[in-house]
Amino acid sequence: MPSGLQNLDYAAFVVLFCIGLYMVLARSNLVKKLLGLNIMETAVFAFIVTSGMVDDGTAPILGNGVAGPFASPLPHALILTGIVVAVSITALALALIVEIHRQCGTIEADELKGAE
Amino acid sequence: MALAIAAAAVPMLAGVMALPRPGDPAAPVHARVAAHVVAHGAEETGAENLVTAVLLAYRGYDTFGEVTVMFAALAAVMTVLAPRPRERSPEPADGVAISPVVVFVIRLLAPFIAAFAVLVVLRGNVSPGGGFQGGVMLGALLVLLSVVTGRGNERPLLEPRLASWLQAAGPLTFTLVALLGFATAGAVLALPADPAWARGAMLLALELGIGVGTAAIILGLFLQMRGW
Repeated sequence: MPSGLQNLDYAAFVVLFCIGLYMVLARSNLVKKLLGLNIMETAVFAFIVTSGMVDDGTAPILGNGVAGPFASPLPHALILTGIVVAVSITALALALIVEIHRQCGTIEADELKGAE
Repeated sequence: MALAIAAAAVPMLAGVMALPRPGDPAAPVHARVAAHVVAHGAEETGAENLVTAVLLAYRGYDTFGEVTVMFAALAAVMTVLAPRPRERSPEPADGVAISPVVVFVIRLLAPFIAAFAVLVVLRGNVSPGGGFQGGVMLGALLVLLSVVTGRGNERPLLEPRLASWLQAAGPLTFTLVALLGFATAGAVLALPADPAWARGAMLLALELGIGVGTAAIILGLFLQMRGW
Protein backbone atom coordinates (compact mmCIF):
# COMPACT_ATOMS: atom_id res chain seq x y z
CA MET A 1 0.00 0.00 0.00
CA PRO A 2 1.69 3.24 -1.07
CA SER A 3 2.18 6.01 1.43
CA GLY A 4 -0.50 8.60 1.84
CA LEU A 5 1.28 11.54 0.25
CA GLN A 6 1.55 9.88 -3.13
CA ASN A 7 -2.20 9.76 -3.57
CA LEU A 8 -2.76 13.37 -2.53
CA ASP A 9 -4.48 14.08 -5.83
CA TYR A 10 -7.04 11.39 -5.22
CA ALA A 11 -7.63 12.58 -1.67
CA ALA A 12 -8.22 16.13 -2.93
CA PHE A 13 -10.87 14.85 -5.33
CA VAL A 14 -12.56 12.94 -2.52
CA VAL A 15 -12.64 16.17 -0.48
CA LEU A 16 -14.18 17.99 -3.47
CA PHE A 17 -16.78 15.26 -3.78
CA CYS A 18 -17.70 15.64 -0.13
CA ILE A 19 -18.02 19.42 -0.53
CA GLY A 20 -20.49 18.82 -3.35
CA LEU A 21 -22.33 16.23 -1.27
CA TYR A 22 -22.61 18.70 1.60
CA MET A 23 -24.10 21.28 -0.74
CA VAL A 24 -26.69 18.82 -1.99
CA LEU A 25 -27.70 17.72 1.48
CA ALA A 26 -27.45 20.89 3.53
CA ARG A 27 -28.70 23.68 1.32
CA SER A 28 -32.39 24.07 0.69
CA ASN A 29 -32.21 26.25 -2.43
CA LEU A 30 -32.74 24.07 -5.49
CA VAL A 31 -30.17 25.88 -7.61
CA LYS A 32 -27.54 25.38 -4.92
CA LYS A 33 -28.35 21.69 -4.81
CA LEU A 34 -27.84 21.54 -8.55
CA LEU A 35 -24.50 23.31 -8.22
CA GLY A 36 -23.46 20.78 -5.58
CA LEU A 37 -24.34 17.99 -7.98
CA ASN A 38 -22.16 19.63 -10.62
CA ILE A 39 -19.26 19.84 -8.18
CA MET A 40 -19.63 16.15 -7.38
CA GLU A 41 -19.60 15.30 -11.07
CA THR A 42 -16.49 17.43 -11.64
CA ALA A 43 -14.69 15.65 -8.81
CA VAL A 44 -15.48 12.25 -10.31
CA PHE A 45 -14.34 13.32 -13.78
CA ALA A 46 -11.05 14.71 -12.47
CA PHE A 47 -10.45 11.54 -10.45
CA ILE A 48 -10.95 9.22 -13.41
CA VAL A 49 -8.82 11.30 -15.77
CA THR A 50 -6.00 11.49 -13.20
CA SER A 51 -6.01 7.72 -12.88
CA GLY A 52 -5.01 7.44 -16.54
CA MET A 53 -1.84 9.50 -16.24
CA VAL A 54 1.62 8.10 -16.92
CA ASP A 55 4.97 9.47 -15.76
CA ASP A 56 6.46 11.68 -18.53
CA GLY A 57 3.58 10.70 -20.75
CA THR A 58 2.14 12.69 -23.63
CA ALA A 59 -1.39 13.05 -24.94
CA PRO A 60 -2.61 9.91 -26.71
CA ILE A 61 -2.41 11.42 -30.19
CA LEU A 62 -0.06 9.81 -32.66
CA GLY A 63 1.56 12.13 -35.13
CA ASN A 64 4.78 12.06 -37.04
CA GLY A 65 7.63 11.63 -34.66
CA VAL A 66 5.59 11.48 -31.46
CA ALA A 67 6.92 8.75 -29.23
CA GLY A 68 7.21 7.90 -25.64
CA PRO A 69 4.67 6.61 -23.16
CA PHE A 70 1.15 7.73 -23.93
CA ALA A 71 -1.47 8.47 -21.34
CA SER A 72 -4.28 5.98 -21.47
CA PRO A 73 -7.02 7.11 -23.90
CA LEU A 74 -9.79 5.12 -22.25
CA PRO A 75 -10.47 7.47 -19.29
CA HIS A 76 -10.65 10.46 -21.65
CA ALA A 77 -13.28 8.83 -23.82
CA LEU A 78 -15.24 7.72 -20.77
CA ILE A 79 -15.21 11.23 -19.31
CA LEU A 80 -16.36 12.81 -22.58
CA THR A 81 -19.47 10.71 -22.37
CA GLY A 82 -19.80 11.62 -18.70
CA ILE A 83 -19.54 15.35 -19.37
CA VAL A 84 -22.27 15.17 -22.00
CA VAL A 85 -24.53 13.29 -19.61
CA ALA A 86 -23.80 15.86 -16.87
CA VAL A 87 -24.75 18.70 -19.21
CA SER A 88 -28.00 16.95 -20.11
CA ILE A 89 -28.84 16.41 -16.43
CA THR A 90 -28.11 20.07 -15.64
CA ALA A 91 -30.27 21.27 -18.54
CA LEU A 92 -33.25 19.17 -17.52
CA ALA A 93 -32.88 20.06 -13.82
CA LEU A 94 -32.77 23.78 -14.65
CA ALA A 95 -35.88 23.44 -16.80
CA LEU A 96 -37.68 21.73 -13.91
CA ILE A 97 -36.56 24.49 -11.51
CA VAL A 98 -37.87 27.17 -13.88
CA GLU A 99 -41.22 25.39 -14.09
CA ILE A 100 -41.37 24.93 -10.30
CA HIS A 101 -40.75 28.62 -9.84
CA ARG A 102 -43.51 29.41 -12.28
CA GLN A 103 -46.02 27.11 -10.61
CA CYS A 104 -45.17 27.55 -6.92
CA GLY A 105 -43.41 30.90 -6.79
CA THR A 106 -40.47 29.65 -4.73
CA ILE A 107 -37.44 27.44 -5.15
CA GLU A 108 -36.59 26.75 -1.52
CA ALA A 109 -37.02 23.09 -0.74
CA ASP A 110 -38.42 23.51 2.78
CA GLU A 111 -41.07 25.99 1.61
CA LEU A 112 -42.00 23.59 -1.17
CA LYS A 113 -42.34 20.74 1.29
CA GLY A 114 -44.86 22.72 3.31
CA ALA A 115 -46.90 24.03 0.42
CA GLU A 116 -47.97 20.68 -0.97
CA MET B 1 -25.39 15.82 8.59
CA ALA B 2 -21.69 15.80 9.41
CA LEU B 3 -22.05 12.17 10.39
CA ALA B 4 -23.53 11.29 7.01
CA ILE B 5 -20.74 13.04 5.15
CA ALA B 6 -18.07 11.44 7.34
CA ALA B 7 -19.68 8.05 6.75
CA ALA B 8 -19.39 8.70 3.03
CA ALA B 9 -15.92 10.20 3.09
CA VAL B 10 -14.06 7.67 5.23
CA PRO B 11 -14.54 4.58 3.00
CA MET B 12 -13.77 6.69 -0.07
CA LEU B 13 -10.53 7.99 1.42
CA ALA B 14 -9.50 4.53 2.54
CA GLY B 15 -10.17 3.11 -0.91
CA VAL B 16 -8.39 5.93 -2.67
CA MET B 17 -5.29 5.54 -0.54
CA ALA B 18 -5.01 1.92 -1.59
CA LEU B 19 -4.86 2.69 -5.30
CA PRO B 20 -1.55 2.72 -7.18
CA ARG B 21 -0.19 6.23 -7.36
CA PRO B 22 -1.26 8.40 -10.35
CA GLY B 23 1.32 8.17 -13.07
CA ASP B 24 2.47 4.64 -12.30
CA PRO B 25 3.13 2.92 -15.63
CA ALA B 26 2.46 -0.48 -14.13
CA ALA B 27 -1.03 0.41 -12.96
CA PRO B 28 -3.78 -1.92 -14.18
CA VAL B 29 -5.43 0.87 -16.15
CA HIS B 30 -2.64 0.71 -18.74
CA ALA B 31 -2.49 -3.05 -18.93
CA ARG B 32 -4.79 -4.74 -21.36
CA VAL B 33 -7.29 -2.72 -23.36
CA ALA B 34 -5.37 0.56 -23.26
CA ALA B 35 -2.15 -1.16 -24.35
CA HIS B 36 -3.94 -2.69 -27.33
CA VAL B 37 -5.51 0.64 -28.29
CA VAL B 38 -2.19 2.49 -28.08
CA ALA B 39 -0.35 -0.16 -30.07
CA HIS B 40 -2.86 -0.91 -32.82
CA GLY B 41 -5.39 1.89 -32.71
CA ALA B 42 -4.11 4.00 -35.59
CA GLU B 43 -3.94 1.24 -38.18
CA GLU B 44 -7.14 -0.49 -37.15
CA THR B 45 -9.32 2.60 -37.20
CA GLY B 46 -7.50 5.15 -39.33
CA ALA B 47 -7.69 7.83 -36.66
CA GLU B 48 -4.44 9.12 -35.18
CA ASN B 49 -6.21 10.71 -32.26
CA LEU B 50 -6.56 7.63 -30.06
CA VAL B 51 -9.35 9.17 -27.98
CA THR B 52 -11.42 9.63 -31.16
CA ALA B 53 -10.52 6.09 -32.17
CA VAL B 54 -11.88 4.82 -28.86
CA LEU B 55 -14.98 7.03 -28.99
CA LEU B 56 -16.06 6.41 -32.57
CA ALA B 57 -14.60 3.04 -33.44
CA TYR B 58 -13.93 0.86 -30.42
CA ARG B 59 -16.81 2.22 -28.36
CA GLY B 60 -19.11 3.49 -31.09
CA TYR B 61 -22.24 2.24 -29.37
CA ASP B 62 -21.54 4.34 -26.29
CA THR B 63 -21.28 7.47 -28.40
CA PHE B 64 -24.52 6.51 -30.13
CA GLY B 65 -26.20 6.34 -26.73
CA GLU B 66 -24.63 9.63 -25.75
CA VAL B 67 -26.04 11.61 -28.67
CA THR B 68 -29.40 10.02 -27.98
CA VAL B 69 -29.19 11.14 -24.34
CA MET B 70 -28.55 14.72 -25.41
CA PHE B 71 -31.45 14.65 -27.84
CA ALA B 72 -33.71 13.14 -25.18
CA ALA B 73 -32.71 15.90 -22.74
CA LEU B 74 -33.77 18.53 -25.27
CA ALA B 75 -37.07 16.73 -25.86
CA ALA B 76 -37.68 16.53 -22.10
CA VAL B 77 -36.89 20.24 -21.63
CA MET B 78 -39.31 21.11 -24.42
CA THR B 79 -41.98 19.00 -22.72
CA VAL B 80 -41.43 20.51 -19.27
CA LEU B 81 -41.29 24.11 -20.48
CA ALA B 82 -44.19 23.84 -22.91
CA PRO B 83 -46.27 27.01 -22.78
CA ARG B 84 -49.64 26.68 -21.14
CA PRO B 85 -52.48 27.94 -23.33
CA ARG B 86 -53.92 30.25 -20.73
CA GLU B 87 -50.90 31.97 -19.26
CA ARG B 88 -48.89 33.60 -21.99
CA SER B 89 -48.17 36.74 -20.04
CA PRO B 90 -45.25 38.24 -21.91
CA GLU B 91 -42.50 38.97 -19.41
CA PRO B 92 -41.31 42.52 -19.85
CA ALA B 93 -37.97 42.57 -21.56
CA ASP B 94 -36.37 44.91 -19.06
CA GLY B 95 -32.77 45.14 -18.11
CA VAL B 96 -29.74 47.06 -19.25
CA ALA B 97 -29.36 47.52 -22.97
CA ILE B 98 -26.33 45.82 -24.44
CA SER B 99 -23.44 48.17 -25.00
CA PRO B 100 -22.59 48.79 -28.67
CA VAL B 101 -18.93 48.03 -27.97
CA VAL B 102 -19.85 44.49 -26.91
CA VAL B 103 -22.09 44.06 -29.93
CA PHE B 104 -19.37 45.22 -32.30
CA VAL B 105 -16.65 43.01 -30.80
CA ILE B 106 -18.82 39.91 -30.80
CA ARG B 107 -19.91 40.50 -34.37
CA LEU B 108 -16.28 41.01 -35.36
CA LEU B 109 -15.09 37.82 -33.66
CA ALA B 110 -17.99 35.58 -34.65
CA PRO B 111 -16.65 34.36 -38.02
CA PHE B 112 -13.29 33.44 -36.46
CA ILE B 113 -14.92 31.56 -33.63
CA ALA B 114 -17.15 29.73 -36.09
CA ALA B 115 -14.18 28.85 -38.30
CA PHE B 116 -12.24 27.54 -35.32
CA ALA B 117 -15.20 25.44 -34.20
CA VAL B 118 -15.62 23.91 -37.65
CA LEU B 119 -11.86 23.24 -37.80
CA VAL B 120 -11.97 21.45 -34.46
CA VAL B 121 -14.83 19.27 -35.69
CA LEU B 122 -13.21 18.40 -39.02
CA ARG B 123 -9.75 17.63 -37.61
CA GLY B 124 -11.02 15.37 -34.87
CA ASN B 125 -9.06 12.48 -36.28
CA VAL B 126 -5.60 13.98 -36.08
CA SER B 127 -5.64 16.65 -33.38
CA PRO B 128 -7.38 17.11 -30.05
CA GLY B 129 -11.00 17.84 -30.64
CA GLY B 130 -13.84 16.12 -32.34
CA GLY B 131 -17.54 16.44 -32.71
CA PHE B 132 -18.58 17.35 -29.17
CA GLN B 133 -15.95 19.99 -28.56
CA GLY B 134 -16.53 21.81 -31.84
CA GLY B 135 -20.28 21.46 -31.54
CA VAL B 136 -20.30 23.03 -28.07
CA MET B 137 -18.19 25.96 -29.31
CA LEU B 138 -20.52 26.52 -32.24
CA GLY B 139 -23.58 26.25 -30.00
CA ALA B 140 -22.15 28.74 -27.52
CA LEU B 141 -21.40 31.14 -30.38
CA LEU B 142 -24.99 30.85 -31.62
CA VAL B 143 -26.31 31.51 -28.10
CA LEU B 144 -24.07 34.57 -27.82
CA LEU B 145 -25.25 35.87 -31.18
CA SER B 146 -28.87 35.34 -30.17
CA VAL B 147 -28.33 37.46 -27.07
CA VAL B 148 -26.34 40.16 -28.81
CA THR B 149 -28.45 40.65 -31.90
CA GLY B 150 -31.67 40.45 -29.93
CA ARG B 151 -33.22 37.79 -32.15
CA GLY B 152 -34.49 35.57 -29.40
CA ASN B 153 -37.72 33.74 -30.05
CA GLU B 154 -39.45 35.97 -32.57
CA ARG B 155 -36.97 35.38 -35.38
CA PRO B 156 -34.60 32.75 -34.07
CA LEU B 157 -31.25 32.25 -35.72
CA LEU B 158 -32.38 28.83 -36.91
CA GLU B 159 -35.75 28.29 -38.55
CA PRO B 160 -37.90 26.04 -36.30
CA ARG B 161 -38.49 23.36 -38.90
CA LEU B 162 -34.86 23.27 -39.94
CA ALA B 163 -33.85 23.40 -36.29
CA SER B 164 -35.80 20.21 -35.50
CA TRP B 165 -33.96 18.30 -38.19
CA LEU B 166 -30.59 19.67 -37.17
CA GLN B 167 -31.16 18.78 -33.53
CA ALA B 168 -31.83 15.21 -34.55
CA ALA B 169 -28.69 15.17 -36.69
CA GLY B 170 -26.67 13.29 -34.07
CA PRO B 171 -28.84 10.18 -33.73
CA LEU B 172 -29.79 10.26 -37.42
CA THR B 173 -26.17 10.31 -38.60
CA PHE B 174 -25.29 7.47 -36.30
CA THR B 175 -28.20 5.38 -37.58
CA LEU B 176 -27.21 6.02 -41.19
CA VAL B 177 -23.56 5.15 -40.62
CA ALA B 178 -24.53 2.07 -38.64
CA LEU B 179 -26.70 0.78 -41.48
CA LEU B 180 -23.95 1.62 -43.96
CA GLY B 181 -21.49 -0.35 -41.88
CA PHE B 182 -23.90 -3.25 -41.81
CA ALA B 183 -24.25 -3.13 -45.59
CA THR B 184 -20.54 -2.97 -46.36
CA ALA B 185 -18.82 -4.89 -43.61
CA GLY B 186 -21.43 -7.19 -42.15
CA ALA B 187 -21.77 -5.80 -38.66
CA VAL B 188 -23.74 -2.81 -37.42
CA LEU B 189 -21.51 0.28 -36.95
CA ALA B 190 -18.50 -1.51 -38.45
CA LEU B 191 -15.82 0.42 -40.32
CA PRO B 192 -14.92 -1.16 -43.68
CA ALA B 193 -11.22 -1.79 -44.03
CA ASP B 194 -10.87 -2.09 -47.79
CA PRO B 195 -11.21 1.37 -49.30
CA ALA B 196 -9.27 3.57 -46.91
CA TRP B 197 -11.22 6.64 -47.97
CA ALA B 198 -14.52 4.96 -47.00
CA ARG B 199 -13.36 4.56 -43.44
CA GLY B 200 -12.18 8.16 -43.23
CA ALA B 201 -15.39 9.37 -44.84
CA MET B 202 -17.57 7.51 -42.35
CA LEU B 203 -15.60 8.87 -39.40
CA LEU B 204 -15.87 12.38 -40.84
CA ALA B 205 -19.62 11.97 -41.35
CA LEU B 206 -19.98 10.89 -37.72
CA GLU B 207 -17.96 13.88 -36.51
CA LEU B 208 -20.02 16.31 -38.58
CA GLY B 209 -23.27 14.78 -37.41
CA ILE B 210 -22.22 15.00 -33.77
CA GLY B 211 -20.98 18.58 -34.18
CA VAL B 212 -24.08 19.92 -35.92
CA GLY B 213 -26.40 18.05 -33.57
CA THR B 214 -24.66 19.33 -30.44
CA ALA B 215 -24.68 22.94 -31.66
CA ALA B 216 -28.37 22.82 -32.57
CA ILE B 217 -29.29 21.17 -29.25
CA ILE B 218 -27.45 23.80 -27.21
CA LEU B 219 -29.12 26.62 -29.11
CA GLY B 220 -32.45 24.86 -28.68
CA LEU B 221 -31.97 24.49 -24.92
CA PHE B 222 -31.13 28.19 -24.59
CA LEU B 223 -34.13 29.30 -26.63
CA GLN B 224 -36.45 27.03 -24.65
CA MET B 225 -35.37 28.41 -21.30
CA ARG B 226 -35.39 32.01 -22.42
CA GLY B 227 -38.61 32.93 -24.01
CA TRP B 228 -41.80 31.49 -22.81
